[in-house]
Amino acid sequence: MPAAPALITALEQMPFAQTISESTWMFPCFETLHVLFLTVVVGSVGMMDLRLLGLGSKDRAISELTRSALPWTWTAFGFAALFGLLLFTSKATTYWNNIPFRIKMLCMVLAAVNMVVFHFFTMRNISSWDVGKPPAGARAAGVISLALWITIVATGRWIGFTT
Amino acid sequence: MIQAFSDWLSATQLSQLFANLGWFVPTVQTIHILAIAAVVTMLSMMNFRLLHITSSGPSLKRLAGGYVPWVWRFLVILLVSGILLTITEPNRELMNNAFRLKMVLVLVLTILTFVFNSAFRKDAEYWTSSPQRRFLGGTIALLSLVLCLCIVAAGRLIAYV
Repeated sequence: MPAAPALITALEQMPFAQTISESTWMFPCFETLHVLFLTVVVGSVGMMDLRLLGLGSKDRAISELTRSALPWTWTAFGFAALFGLLLFTSKATTYWNNIPFRIKMLCMVLAAVNMVVFHFFTMRNISSWDVGKPPAGARAAGVISLALWITIVATGRWIGFTT
Repeated sequence: MIQAFSDWLSATQLSQLFANLGWFVPTVQTIHILAIAAVVTMLSMMNFRLLHITSSGPSLKRLAGGYVPWVWRFLVILLVSGILLTITEPNRELMNNAFRLKMVLVLVLTILTFVFNSAFRKDAEYWTSSPQRRFLGGTIALLSLVLCLCIVAAGRLIAYV
């Protein structure tokens, strides 16, 4: 296994990381909570993506759907990230060297970039397509987001089969 | 009896075919998790509305009208992907207490969703028309949320029990 950066090794050796690693119940519990919150993140993001693609919630305005779904997304994401970080610390060097884990992290960064572009650029003229068919840029944001989040779930599952 | 069935299933050509495909289990599990994500999110949004924890956005009637048909579709995907996983690893699933608990909880959740939706389809105001029904609706919503939580937990714990 290639050497991980000193910061990653130090993280793994911290007392709380050791406690999680040595405990018989902490890892399964944190993993369960990570999966639970991730399901809500993926479900609420998927709902917005399908609306952008014109495949679901067609009777709802995009701005209204986004307003009601985003609090769910961010709250769940906060908890999923917290428990994900705790899981990571318990086997930091193993995860650092794991290819599916790296793809998962890359996809999360790309999903964040996609969201920023959508909110600050594509959504600027939302009033003209809020209740109708979204323009190509918005549909593209929906496809990219959906593909990235499906990959995040898939690579997340693959981590379990490759560590 | 379950052990005998599990042994028979794991000896079938189909089970061995799936088990020998390295990508099969992770792929089907991914589809299973995506379908769980859809069901848990839609049920949670409806239940939070029924419990008056959230109040903005469309009415419960509009939410249920849009979500419930999709909940049933995703439940079918869950059933099919779950059956495929069980065929591939019968002993891991059928002989596992977390799996058995999950199946019981899924059954209860399906019945609750059916009861909630049957009354709702006949009368959109059914769950809000009297204090008793509001209490019953709230109880069903709370139970449904707890069941979602326990089903996800039991599903993940299959790997550890």
